Amino acid sequence: MKCEQIGELLPDYLQESLNEEQNDIVELHMAQCADCRDEVAIWKKLGLLPVEQPSAASRARFEAMLHAYQTGRSDRVSARFGRAGRAAGSNIWQWLRTPVGAVAWSAALLVFGIFAGSYYGNRPTRPIANQDEIAAMHTELTNMRQLVVLSMLQQQSASERLQGVSWSQQEEHLDPQVMFALLHTLRFDGSVDVRLAALNALSRHAGQPQVHKGVLDALQEQQSPLVQVALIDLLTEWRDPDAAQRLRNFEQTPNLNPTVKQRAEWAVSKLN
Amino acid sequence: MKEQERAGTENDQTMKLAPDEDLMLDVRNGAGETLGVLFDRYHTPLYNFYSKLTGDRTLSEDLVQEVFLRILKYRQSYQPGTPFRAWIYQIARNARVDHYRKTPKHITFEPEMAPAVMPKDSAQHLEESELLHRAMMQMPEEKREILILSRFQELRYDEIARLLGCELGTVKTRIHRAIQELRQTFRQLESGMINKDKNSGVTKFVPPRRAGNEV
Repeated sequence: MKCEQIGELLPDYLQESLNEEQNDIVELHMAQCADCRDEVAIWKKLGLLPVEQPSAASRARFEAMLHAYQTGRSDRVSARFGRAGRAAGSNIWQWLRTPVGAVAWSAALLVFGIFAGSYYGNRPTRPIANQDEIAAMHTELTNMRQLVVLSMLQQQSASERLQGVSWSQQEEHLDPQVMFALLHTLRFDGSVDVRLAALNALSRHAGQPQVHKGVLDALQEQQSPLVQVALIDLLTEWRDPDAAQRLRNFEQTPNLNPTVKQRAEWAVSKLN
Repeated sequence: MKEQERAGTENDQTMKLAPDEDLMLDVRNGAGETLGVLFDRYHTPLYNFYSKLTGDRTLSEDLVQEVFLRILKYRQSYQPGTPFRAWIYQIARNARVDHYRKTPKHITFEPEMAPAVMPKDSAQHLEESELLHRAMMQMPEEKREILILSRFQELRYDEIARLLGCELGTVKTRIHRAIQELRQTFRQLESGMINKDKNSGVTKFVPPRRAGNEV
């Protein structure tokens, strides 16, 4: 038999799903044909590639996502607005317990019931019925991701906050809340790595004036030379109209690291 | 109270043994926490699917998380009675496609992306697995994917056919071609290495890997 014919049998031979007769044919051929034998050898060799283990943080990240998802489902308002929102959320719950609240609550449920009834009643039997529904799912998915990012940016561990920043980059469009969270991280996060990552994430959104302003404002407050240099570079790259003036002021900062000062001078000369 | 606890442990045990499909039905019916069991079962295989396909560990972890997020979001679209494994791999492939649509690939495989984890076998095995890894990464992604699915994810050919939306015969042909190409690339790399050894005399093959790459 020719190699091509054997080739047709080979995948099944590898998964040991040939009948005895076919199996013998393949083995007989292989005893004479080095090329086909080598193909089988390569397939077996693939077993040498190790099973890689995901990092230990993977499980924690999943738990955070699941938690954010479940919190988001039961109490989306409080989860979206962070700590301040949680207080507002509990006020809402208290209000709902009052008689006026109860009436409003019942009315809302009734409206929801009518809406849901008519919606599901008219829905075609296919599970994913139309474009709108898919679009709605996409929006929900995007919201979920933002929720996870916001929750991760508040974690105790720097590596989780770092992952939060890296997750924020999955969305092309920058949600205002995520943007504020990233700007907050850039200014106040305790870890230099996390601040740098946040700056990197923000650098992709040069088109947004608030990002520009936030990055400019961050310059004065940074203490770490690494972040200072990264900020100066980004401002130079953006050619921000306000940057030259700000950098000139920044150069005057007392006790400025000489390298940073040099970088700022270079940036000012580039911008002029 | 104690009975409740015992019931809880028994419940955990049953959950750990339950088929994927039953667990997914629970998730579909709103028991999000059951997804943890499915995560335990699938996150390492999925991670390996992505890492062998992309050679990028961080991206692989991100994509695994994305898959489980999507399972939660699209849980209603899981059809009871259909194999969960096929469904999760469908989601996994889509997540990857969507990722590359958003952030187009501008980096091809570089040697420093080679896995840091290597089998603790003999030096020869180490070299072979390094070469195999490189040969894999040099192949076109479609061929690499079909090899990974059949060799490492242990999907049956008919499952792969359904996943890729093609005929069973086509899957087998593609697998055979992929093996042929892998073999050629591997042997070329190997002979290149041997020649290098001969030319350089004492210099042994050292996999080029940049230190401090894992930031």
